[in-house]
Amino acid sequence: MSEEIIRQLESAANIMTAPPNVVTDEQRRSAETVFLDFRKSKLPYGLCRQILEVSQVHYVLFEAAEVLKSALIREWSCLQESDIISLRQYLIQYVSHRNDLPFFVQERILQVIAIMVKRGSVEDFGLERTSILNEVENLIINGDHTKKIMGCNLILNLMQEYASTIKSTDVGLPWEIHFKAKKQFEATDLRKIFKFCIQLLSNIIKNESMDNNTVKLMEQLLIITAGVLTWVVLYLNDSILPKRLIGVYESVYEADQSPSLRLGANWKEIMLAPQLIPLVFEIYWKVREYELLLHQVLTCLVQLASLNGGVMNRDEVRMEYLSSYIENFLKILRMINSNFKEKEVLGLSNIVKKLQLFFGQDFLKIPQNVQELYLNDITHITCCFAEGAKLEEAQSLDDKFYSEAFDNLLEAWTGIFQECASGSDNILFQSATRIFNTYLQCHLAPPDGSRIQEKECEEIEDNEDNDRIKYKDQLQIIGVFGRIVPSHCLPILFRLLEDRSNKLKSHFQTMQNYTMTLNDSKTLDNLFEDIHWIILIAGHVLCMDCEGETPMIPSEIMQYSIQQCNKMECNLETTLKVLASVREVVFEIDCIEQCDHAVRIFSDVLKLCVLESSAGHAKLGHFMSPEVGCTLMWFLKRWCMSYLLPTENFYQEISPTLIGALGGDTDGATFVINFILGKIQSNICQFNSEPILLQDTVDLFADIVCVKQKSMYIVKTEGLWNLVNLQTELMAGLLPQNIRRGLYKGFVLAGASLTDLEAMNEYYRRILKPVQTRFKELVCQENFNRIYQEENVKTEVIDILECFVGISKGAQMSTAQTIFEYVVPILSELPVFLNLYKNYQLIVQLILELFGQCAHSKRLYETSLATVQMYARCNTNRLTTEVFSEESNFQDLLLVLEFLTLILSKECFDLCPHSPTEEVTVTAADVSLFGLNFVLPLIKIELLMYPSLCSQYYKLIVLINDLYPDKISNLPDDMLKQLLQSVELGLTAGFGTDVLQACLDFIQALATHIYRKSLNNSKVYHAVMPFLKLLMNLTLSHEISSDMMTSASVCIYILICCYVEQYQMIVEGLINLQSDPLIAERLATAFNQLTNNVQLNCERQPKLKFRDNFDKFIANVHGFLLVK
Amino acid sequence: MTDIEETHFETGDSGASATFPMQCSALRKNGFVMLKARPCKIVEMSTSKTGKHGHAKVHLVGIDIFSGKKYEDICPSTHNMDVPHVKREDYQLTDISDDGYLCLMADNGDLREDLKIPDGDVGVQLRNEYDSGKDILCTVLKSCGEEVVIAVKTNTALDK
Repeated sequence: MSEEIIRQLESAANIMTAPPNVVTDEQRRSAETVFLDFRKSKLPYGLCRQILEVSQVHYVLFEAAEVLKSALIREWSCLQESDIISLRQYLIQYVSHRNDLPFFVQERILQVIAIMVKRGSVEDFGLERTSILNEVENLIINGDHTKKIMGCNLILNLMQEYASTIKSTDVGLPWEIHFKAKKQFEATDLRKIFKFCIQLLSNIIKNESMDNNTVKLMEQLLIITAGVLTWVVLYLNDSILPKRLIGVYESVYEADQSPSLRLGANWKEIMLAPQLIPLVFEIYWKVREYELLLHQVLTCLVQLASLNGGVMNRDEVRMEYLSSYIENFLKILRMINSNFKEKEVLGLSNIVKKLQLFFGQDFLKIPQNVQELYLNDITHITCCFAEGAKLEEAQSLDDKFYSEAFDNLLEAWTGIFQECASGSDNILFQSATRIFNTYLQCHLAPPDGSRIQEKECEEIEDNEDNDRIKYKDQLQIIGVFGRIVPSHCLPILFRLLEDRSNKLKSHFQTMQNYTMTLNDSKTLDNLFEDIHWIILIAGHVLCMDCEGETPMIPSEIMQYSIQQCNKMECNLETTLKVLASVREVVFEIDCIEQCDHAVRIFSDVLKLCVLESSAGHAKLGHFMSPEVGCTLMWFLKRWCMSYLLPTENFYQEISPTLIGALGGDTDGATFVINFILGKIQSNICQFNSEPILLQDTVDLFADIVCVKQKSMYIVKTEGLWNLVNLQTELMAGLLPQNIRRGLYKGFVLAGASLTDLEAMNEYYRRILKPVQTRFKELVCQENFNRIYQEENVKTEVIDILECFVGISKGAQMSTAQTIFEYVVPILSELPVFLNLYKNYQLIVQLILELFGQCAHSKRLYETSLATVQMYARCNTNRLTTEVFSEESNFQDLLLVLEFLTLILSKECFDLCPHSPTEEVTVTAADVSLFGLNFVLPLIKIELLMYPSLCSQYYKLIVLINDLYPDKISNLPDDMLKQLLQSVELGLTAGFGTDVLQACLDFIQALATHIYRKSLNNSKVYHAVMPFLKLLMNLTLSHEISSDMMTSASVCIYILICCYVEQYQMIVEGLINLQSDPLIAERLATAFNQLTNNVQLNCERQPKLKFRDNFDKFIANVHGFLLVK
Repeated sequence: MTDIEETHFETGDSGASATFPMQCSALRKNGFVMLKARPCKIVEMSTSKTGKHGHAKVHLVGIDIFSGKKYEDICPSTHNMDVPHVKREDYQLTDISDDGYLCLMADNGDLREDLKIPDGDVGVQLRNEYDSGKDILCTVLKSCGEEVVIAVKTNTALDK
C-alpha cells in the first residue's frame, strides 16, 4: 500500500520539477492534487518514516517533512508521548546519518525537530531540551565536519522557533504559551548555547589554521553567537501584557536592525568574563579577510558595545567593562592603521555610536589620557570616513558604506558634545575644528579643497532631492561643530565666500565683453558649486533647524557676537555701514574687519543677490545658476527667521550689534526687509522660467510673513506694496502654477499682524478689491456667454481662481471674516461657472479646490452643495472616447472627496460667525451625505484602484459614520446598499490594511449604533447582518492577516451582540459541515470556549475578553479546520 | 484652389490662428499644448536640468485629444510652445441620418449635420440610446480645424 503511495508521489514529483515544456498543464495540475491530498493525510507518521527511508526523490522527502510538520501541529494533543519521543529520536538520527541530504530537506527536517522540542518543552519545562542540546553539543565537538554543521543548524532552528512569540502562531499554540516558552528558554538554554559557542570559538582560534572547514564552522558559530546577542530579551514580568503591546514591542525591536544588548544579572558570569572582549576582538582580527565572518563578528562587537541592563548594575563593573572594550578597540584601530575595508567601516562606526549611546556618561570617568587617545582616534576615523564618503558620492555608487559610517559617527559626535557641553575641553575644540575643516574641504574645489568634479552634463530630474534635503542631517551636525568654534569657522566662511564672490563678479565683468569658452563655463560651475556649499554650511552654522519652534539666534553665535563687541573687535557703526553698502557689491571695504561676523556673512549673501539680479539686468541671467539662486533664497529665509527683528525678551543676553542693526524700529531692519522684498520681486520678473527657484522665492516670502513680529513691520514697507502692484501688472498665465497663489497667500497672512481693525480692513481692501474687481469685470461683460471659451478669457479665469485659492489658504481665524466678504460673492457664482466650464478639467479642478479651501463656513454649505450637485450632474451617465478620462475622473473625484471630508471635520470650527436669528438649515453631515449621494454612482471599482482615492473614500465614510451613525442608518435603500457594498469590497478586495481597518471601524461603529439604539428589524439591521458571516469566514480562512485579527475579532463581537441567533446558526452550520466527528467535536468545544462567560452586551470588558478568547480560538482551530 | 483650402484649414474661427504661443514654464498639467503638430492634453509635466547648475527644461507628455496617441517633448523652460485653441460645445442630438451623420442642435437652436457617429463604445451607446428614445447630449471637441463628438451623456430628469 505505502509503496504504491510512494511511487505515486515520486512520479508526481517528477512532473512538478520537470521543465514547463515537457509536461502539460493538465499533468501539472493532477500532480499538484496528489501533493495537496498528501498534505491532508491523517496520522502520517509511519508513512513519512517510510518515505524518508526509501525515497530518493528530494522533492518527496521535502514534502514528507512538510506533512510531518503540519500533522504534528494539528494532532499534537492526541499523540502518545512515547510516539513523539521515538519519532524525534528517529529524525535526529536520520539527519545526522544522511550526509547526502540536500540543504533544503535537511533544513525542513531540522525545523520539524525544533518544533517538536518546543512543543515538548511546554510540558516538561525544557528538561528534555537541555539534554538534547547536550547531545547536539557533543555532536558538534566530536562529529565530523558535516555533523558539526548540522548540529549548528539545529541550534539555529531551535532559536528561530523560540525567538518571536507573535509570529509563531502557526505552530498551533496561543501566544501566551509562546511567551512563556520563550522566557523559559531565555532563562536556561540560551545562555548555555552562548557559552558553548564562545568556548568552541576560543579553542578554534587558538589551535587551528583557517582551512575551509574551519571557516565554515566558525561562520555557523558566529551566526549563533550573533543571534544570541541580538536576541530580543523580553523584560517583562510574568504578568501577562496584552498581546498587542508585546507585538508592538517585538516589531519595534525587529525594525531596529540591532536592538541593544539588555541582559539581566544572571548573565554576569558570562558577559563580564575578562577574556570575552579580548577574544571577540581577536576573532575579528583573524577573520577580517572573510567577508561573511567579518559581518557576523562585527555584529557581535556592536552588540557588546551596547551591553546594559541588570548585568551592569554597579559603576565599577561598567567602568571595567568599558575600559577593556576601549583598550581593545583602540588596539584594533591601530592595527588597521587607516587601511579600512569598506565592509567594516559601518560596523566600526556603529561601535562608536553604541558606545556613546550606552556609555556616554562613563567616558568622563575614564582616565584623561585614554579619553584623549579615544577622541583623537575617532576624530581621525571621522575624517577618513568623510573622505571615503566623498569618493563614494563622486562615483555615485549604490552601496554607500563610508557615507553611512560617516553619518553614524556624526551622530555619535553630537552625543559627545552634549555630554561635554559644560567643559571647555581643548581636545574637543580641536576635534570640532578638524572635522569641520575636513568637511568643508571635501566640498570645495581644489586648490583650497579636494572636491571631485561631478560627471559632466548629467541630466538631473527635479524630483531628486537637492543637497540641503539630501545632506540635512550631516549639515545640521556640521553646524553644531561650527558653533563650537565660531572664532575659527565664521572667518573662514566669510573669507571663502568673499573670495568666490569676487571671482564671480570679475567673471561677469569679463563676460560682458567677451564670449565664454567651454573652459570658462567649467570654472563658472566650480565657482557656483563652491558658493553653494559655503552658503549651505554657513546657513547651518549661523542658524539652527527649528521645526515647530520659534527660530532663535543660537546662543553660541550670540555669545560670540557679544565677545567681539566687548573686545572692541567690532562695532555697530561699521556693521551698519557694511550692511548699507551691499548694493555696491564691493568686498574690500576699509573698515570691514570691524563688522560683526554673522552680519558680514549675511551681507556677503546680499551682495551675491545683487550680483545675480544685475546679471539678469545685463542679459546675463542665463549664465547664473538657478541652484545657487535657490540656495540664496533658502539662506535668506533661514537667516531672517532667526536674526531679523529678534524678540528681545527671548534672550538672556543680547548682542548690541545684532539688536542695533536688525532689531525692531531700526533702519537696518527696514533696509533688510525692503531689500529682500525687492529681491523677491526681481526673481519673479527675471527668473519666471525657473519653477524651483520661484518656489523657493515664494517660500521665503510666505515664511517671513507668517511671523507676526516680522510681518507687522513688513506691512508698512514700500517693498510689500511694490510686490502687490507687480501682481496687478503681471499678465495672467505668465507665472508657473502655485506661484500666484503662494504670493497671495503671503499677502493675506501678512495682514493678520494688523491689530487695528480699520487698518486691517483697509489693508485687505487694497489687496483683495482689485482681484474681486477683475472677476466682476470679467463676468459682467455682456457677451461673456459667447466669449467664455476664448483662450484669453479662460486664462483670466484660471488666474483669478488661483489668486482666490491663495487668498483662502492665507485666511486665519482673526482675518477670516474680513476676507470672506471678498470671497463669498465669487464662490456663489461658481456652481454656474462649473456648468459653463464643465468641459475644461483644469477649471473644474480649480473650482473644487477652491471650495476645498473655504468650506469652513456654514454660509457656504448651500453653495458647496450646489457645486457638488452640478459636478455630479455633468458627469453621470457620461461616456467619452478620451483615453485619459479615467485618470481625469480620478483627479476630480479625489478633490470632491477631500472637500466633503473637510466640511465634516470643520463643523466644530466655524470661521464665519452667524447671527443667532439666522436659522441653520443645512448641517455638515447633510452636505457630506448629500454630496456622497451624488458622488457614489461615479465611484467605480477601477477608480478605487487608485490608492489615494481609495483611502480618501474610506476615510470619508468612516468619518460620516462616526459622527452621524443615525444619518447612515436612515439612508435611502439603494444608497445604503451601495455604501455597504463598497465596505464589503474594502474587506475583500485587498486594498491594504488601512482600508481594511477603516472598513472594520465602519462596521463596528454602525453595529454598535444598531445595538445601542435597539434597531432590531430596521432596514439597516438587515443590511448589516451579512457582515457577520463574511467576517467569520474571512478570519477562519485567514484571509484577514494576523495583525488585523484583533480589530476583526472586536468587530465580530459587536456583530454577535446584534445577531445572536444568526451567529448560532452560522456556528451550527460550520460544525455540521465537518465530516469527521472528531473534528466536529473539537470545533464545537472551541466555539463553546469562545463565548463561554462572555456577556453579549457591547460593553468594553466582555469585548476585551472575547478578543482574547478569539485569539486562542483561532490558534486552536486553525490547525484542524480547513474552511474553503 | 488647393492653396485657398489649405489656408482655410489652418485658421480657426473668424480667421484667427489655430494656436497661440505660451512660455513653456507657464504650461500646466491638464492644459493643452501642440506636440509634433498635434493638439494634445498635457498629462504629465516635469522639469529637469542639465548639470547641477544648469537651467530648467520642461518634459511634457501629452495625449492627442483626437486620436488618443501619446506624444512627448522636452524643451527649455524659457522657450515658447504653441498652445491650441480648444473648444468644447454641447449639442442636443435630434436625428441620425442613414449614412451615419448626426443631426445636432446648438443651444441657440442652430442645426448642423456635418459630424459622423463616433467610433467605438461611445458610438454604439449613442445609437442604442437614441433608438430607445432617450434624450442625448453630445459634447463636440473642436481644435485645429478638426471636430469630433468625444462624449455623450443621457439627459436624465435631474438635468432638466
